[in-house]
Amino acid sequence: MFGAPSRRDFLRLSGTLAVAGLAAGCGSPFVSSLTGSQPATADVIYWHLFGGGDGANMATMVQDVQRTSGLSVEATLLSWGNPYYTKLALAASSGRPPDVAISHLSRLPLLAEAGLIESVDEAGLTDAGITRDKFTPAAWSKATVSGTTYAVPLDTHPFVMFYNRTLADKAGLLDGSGRLKPMSGRQGFLDAITAMKDAGGEYGAISSNTADPSTTWRFFLTLYSGLAGPVVEDQGTTITLDRSAAEETFALMQELTVGKKLMPSSATITTVSTLFGQGKVGFLFDGVWQIPTYRGIKLPSGDPLDFDVVPFPAILGDQPRSYADSHALIIPRSGARSEERSRNAVTFVKGLLDDSAIWADGGHVPAWLPTQQSKEFKAKKPQSNYVRAAFDAVYDPPAWYTGAGSDFQNSMGAVITKVLAGQTTPGPAVDEMTAGLQTYADAKPPVG
Amino acid sequence: MSAQAPTRNRRSVQADAAGKAFNRLAATCVVLFALIWLVPFAWALITSLRPDNEITADPVNFWSSSWTLDAYTNAWSANPIGWWYLNSFVISTLSVLFTVVVCSMIGFALAHLQFRGKRVVLAVVLAGIMLPMESLVLPQFMQFRALHLLGTYWALILPSISAPVAVFVFHAFLKQIPSSLIEAARIDGASWWLIYRKICMPLCRPAVSAVAILTFITTWNAFLWPLLVLTQTKSQTIPVGLSSLIGGSAIQFAETMASSVLGILPLFAVFLVLQRQIVQGVAQTGIR
Amino acid sequence: MTTTTITRAVPRSSDLEVPERTTRSEHNRAGWLFAAPFLVLYVLFLIGPVLIGLLVSFFNTATVVPGLGDWVGVDNYAEVLGSGDFWASMWHSTLFTLLTTPLLVVLPLLFAMFAARISHNQWFFRLAFFAPYVVPSSIVCLIFAFMYTPETGLISHAFAWFGLTAPDFLGSVNGAWFSVVLLTLWWTFGFNFILYIAALQDIPEELYEAAAMDGASPLQQMRRLTIPLLRPTISLVLLLQVLASLKVFDQIYLLLQGGPDKATRPAIEYIYDTGFTSYRGGYAAAATMVYFLVLVLVAATWALLRRGRGAQA
Repeated sequence: MFGAPSRRDFLRLSGTLAVAGLAAGCGSPFVSSLTGSQPATADVIYWHLFGGGDGANMATMVQDVQRTSGLSVEATLLSWGNPYYTKLALAASSGRPPDVAISHLSRLPLLAEAGLIESVDEAGLTDAGITRDKFTPAAWSKATVSGTTYAVPLDTHPFVMFYNRTLADKAGLLDGSGRLKPMSGRQGFLDAITAMKDAGGEYGAISSNTADPSTTWRFFLTLYSGLAGPVVEDQGTTITLDRSAAEETFALMQELTVGKKLMPSSATITTVSTLFGQGKVGFLFDGVWQIPTYRGIKLPSGDPLDFDVVPFPAILGDQPRSYADSHALIIPRSGARSEERSRNAVTFVKGLLDDSAIWADGGHVPAWLPTQQSKEFKAKKPQSNYVRAAFDAVYDPPAWYTGAGSDFQNSMGAVITKVLAGQTTPGPAVDEMTAGLQTYADAKPPVG
Repeated sequence: MSAQAPTRNRRSVQADAAGKAFNRLAATCVVLFALIWLVPFAWALITSLRPDNEITADPVNFWSSSWTLDAYTNAWSANPIGWWYLNSFVISTLSVLFTVVVCSMIGFALAHLQFRGKRVVLAVVLAGIMLPMESLVLPQFMQFRALHLLGTYWALILPSISAPVAVFVFHAFLKQIPSSLIEAARIDGASWWLIYRKICMPLCRPAVSAVAILTFITTWNAFLWPLLVLTQTKSQTIPVGLSSLIGGSAIQFAETMASSVLGILPLFAVFLVLQRQIVQGVAQTGIR
Repeated sequence: MTTTTITRAVPRSSDLEVPERTTRSEHNRAGWLFAAPFLVLYVLFLIGPVLIGLLVSFFNTATVVPGLGDWVGVDNYAEVLGSGDFWASMWHSTLFTLLTTPLLVVLPLLFAMFAARISHNQWFFRLAFFAPYVVPSSIVCLIFAFMYTPETGLISHAFAWFGLTAPDFLGSVNGAWFSVVLLTLWWTFGFNFILYIAALQDIPEELYEAAAMDGASPLQQMRRLTIPLLRPTISLVLLLQVLASLKVFDQIYLLLQGGPDKATRPAIEYIYDTGFTSYRGGYAAAATMVYFLVLVLVAATWALLRRGRGAQA
């Protein structure tokens, strides 16, 4: 009887104390959600989309920057792809976005045109020495939308050729120093893959082409870009797909799979990692971010998988081209961000760039030239082999609907998957691709 | 009558036996299903208490040789669940408070005040029940962006207050209060506010608790609108915050299930305590 | 509605001090004052979005940028109505409704009738069947995604116990629908169950006794007595179920992201994708209005049918 009221009093007291304690910090989520003020749960609030090995590397970098700069950083990992970009846009339009965020450069045009991010100048990054001359040119120019640079490229991650060195040696594809001999042209490419198959590979080459539209799109764009320019122009409103170039590309793809059976016509990610991981395939066409997957893998025989990575040579056309994308750091626009927080953001971005040698462990080529040209990076193998691919990089064409993980990549990739599987022929496939592009080109761009 | 009695008795005895057998069958059936219904809860709880290496080695096992609470410690430190609790709690409590006051007031007006346009108001509120608000998140988002309320608790609280269903619950309850009682109070000089506050509200406690509990549950469990509105990591609600774990690193099963259990816990506690009221509330209103 | 003074002991003479007109205007003033807070919020936040949606659907508005953008007339509607993706998403919402509604109207009825025949331990059924309803959708999906995990998940194993091969729950179209329907059944079963239980309690015991006396078997009792008496409840449950199912979003978005390859994407997710992911606010508003109209029509049809039937009775 006497216990009840006193316990209630106690609860009331502790409740009041708790609320008072929470309210005390005026940047606390509680107060900012109640009053609409800017949240300040850490000196820098940072959003990224890296899980797995990349996530671990990013965590190391963030810790390192926190230690050297003395700033507290709240890093949040969000789901990759559309959900991430949707959330970033929602946060920016609610006026309380993170201070720093990661974006693929291929997804930059829409964010920039919508005015959701600050330009490098506005954010004060230029003053901190983050300037054009210190970045891989292709990445910097992709970070520039309508003449203004909006993002700080962190890396370039191209689509490349992995090769099994044991099989390549048997096939006579290695030069005196044990590297892949240079090859070029359509025939040189086919010959090398045929040699791999003849050397005892189950297949000459492999690439993930079932239920993986992004990968098939990357493969297509790598080959196609040797012959023609972007598939759409004018911010995506004009279709500039070159019919004969696309047909030639599709023809080569089909020759590899259903024609000469040098590549499996259907292979999921699991098939790919199993076959290449067990040393049964000569070449693997995939992104550099897959390097950690195959590092330290043991073959069924017990020996380690001996592989290397090189950029694509010129296959169709005279110039080598590689599909690539870049992770970049952006400063989402916020009317209410204090100058101090803006300065912190700049310090943080600069810190991550200086640490980008750690980032290169994930297979990425640092876009920050001081790191790219450092001894530390040059010693990294196979990363330093394919720096050239970052300079030959072909990105998704700039448009409001293109980019990593977009519906655009999914619908284009779906057509390419059918070509690789032999379910259609080059002519109708080009028609289908054009029809797909038409719906995007006809839709009214929401911005720009 | 007398000739029919024996047959009827025999038939009813037969029917009785059949009825008993049927009841037993029905009972078995329904108990079995109820047990199946509890499996997902049990499964989440058991998994959350098993060590990770054991789950990897033997994922489908209802027993563990070494129960542990580690997953709970990890879940609590991996995500700001404490903040999410607080946000959900503040939003739901304020929504309940405003909904009860605002909806009971208009319910009172509709039940006991003869004002011009009452029929129209009643029809408009009735029509509101049929408005599928969930389909309007896009214009709603634009509205709240224009009001500069995105990212605040108010973006969640304000649209939840004017709940037509709640008005109907109050209206139905308040109408049962005899108007003689109210007139008597009027004659004694009581203001309408006093009548509402001191006579009617105390008399419709069951309606208040039904509306309060169901509003609390619906606002606590809301997903799409809070997903769009509250984007800062620490300002999210429990359902939105925990949704980020779906499809994440799928290897930490114990931690994921521990987070789920933590997410279920508050409403489950409310449910266990207020089971009867909640069930009655649903039965009376059919809100969802 | 009319005030009655019959029960009052106080003589009517006292009313003479308060002229009728004052009472009326007083009622008017107080009535509107009491209704005002609700009505203001109602107009702002229930009617407001409908009007804003209608307005915006005629402009090329970007969701994340202030301002309306350019006037485009009915272009957005033309594009929505001609879009295969939009109609596919409408069909997915409908298909979800067709798959779940029969199960969620009939099964809870059956089990409520069974449970009503057991006089004790009612709390247990309430707990088991209704508890899932208080669990947030994201947590339901977390638990079910875990149980659907290929090879290691509990449900995948349960298939194996019965000698069946589990479908690819999240990767194949049929498997995806199966997994969403099963999840939804578990999650929302209790709500309808409770509505039925409440209605069953209103049926007087004597009716059953009389029926049993007449030698009606339990099944006959259910068919001839219970179900006809429950008809209004069944009709209400059906409507609530159809309206709720047509608005499906949470489970499909969280469990499948509308996949595999958009094969389950419901209408609300289509609006979400075009409106929030692609920022095409004007276009998504047009899609919203079409979808909104369909939902309102379903509800209005039901209301009319019921009124028609009410007039006949």
